[in-house]
Amino acid sequence: MRRAIPQYRPMEWTVSEADEKGFENVVVKGDCDLYSGPAFARELLVRIAEGTRRLRIDFTGVDYLDSTGVGGIIRLLQEARKRGCELRFRGIAGSPRRVLRMSNILSLMKEEAGQ
Amino acid sequence: MKKLILRKLIVDERNELFDAQGMRCAEFPSDFARIREFTAQVLADCPRAFREGNLLEQQLSEIVKNGIKHGNRNDPSKRLRVWYDLRKRARFIVEDEGEGFTELEKWNEFFAKRQTALFNEDFDAFLDLASYRGPRSDENDGGNSLIAALEYWNGGMIFNGARNKIGVVRWFSGGSACLD
Repeated sequence: MRRAIPQYRPMEWTVSEADEKGFENVVVKGDCDLYSGPAFARELLVRIAEGTRRLRIDFTGVDYLDSTGVGGIIRLLQEARKRGCELRFRGIAGSPRRVLRMSNILSLMKEEAGQ
Repeated sequence: MKKLILRKLIVDERNELFDAQGMRCAEFPSDFARIREFTAQVLADCPRAFREGNLLEQQLSEIVKNGIKHGNRNDPSKRLRVWYDLRKRARFIVEDEGEGFTELEKWNEFFAKRQTALFNEDFDAFLDLASYRGPRSDENDGGNSLIAALEYWNGGMIFNGARNKIGVVRWFSGGSACLD
């Protein structure tokens, strides 16, 4: 069998201070997959548990999302509801959008236009 | 008028999706760190039109992950076999050496409740049911791979009698997706 070189990109994210509307902005790049997804979800779950009340996640730089990543988003939605955190999403496109739609999760996510 | 359509996981040992005649076969060790690499190897010669960006890779990777993690429980002495046929459509059979998906009926019950909540627009109940949690689920399990899979594998998704082998097929229309 021909040896294939995986084309995946490890996930990276940055969290900025709250903007003038009180939203902490998370900008994500790379593959939100079974290797990177859990750490990403854990960090944001801790932020919500510790008092973040407005969080915006920008997925413009993500073009691969698997069930572990979707599971992380579900946990964020659950925790945000429990803690009264307003959670918004930007830039969900391509196959990540299709995966979220097939999982019936997209309709639960409050989306807004970019920039 | 809206109508609730409930899909479910099916067991059918004699289903034609398990006919591996003419299919290519690859065998992999149960190495969790290499799941995406194994998937990429199987798809190395896959027609571009079937890939739909990286959607096919993602969906096949879920099946490989389920076999290695939940089937073989990452036991390095157990192997995963993948039969594949990428002529005209994307078709796979994936077999692990585990005890089988013993929670299949329980999963179907969970899925029926989940989809009923969604149909009734009871979003609080739906969010509580969004991910499947079984007795062996860990915090890294998304608990939703089979939900998207039921939608994605539009030609069928069948388990064998022992529930350690799954057959799936996705058809394409003129090289583009039937979905969306």
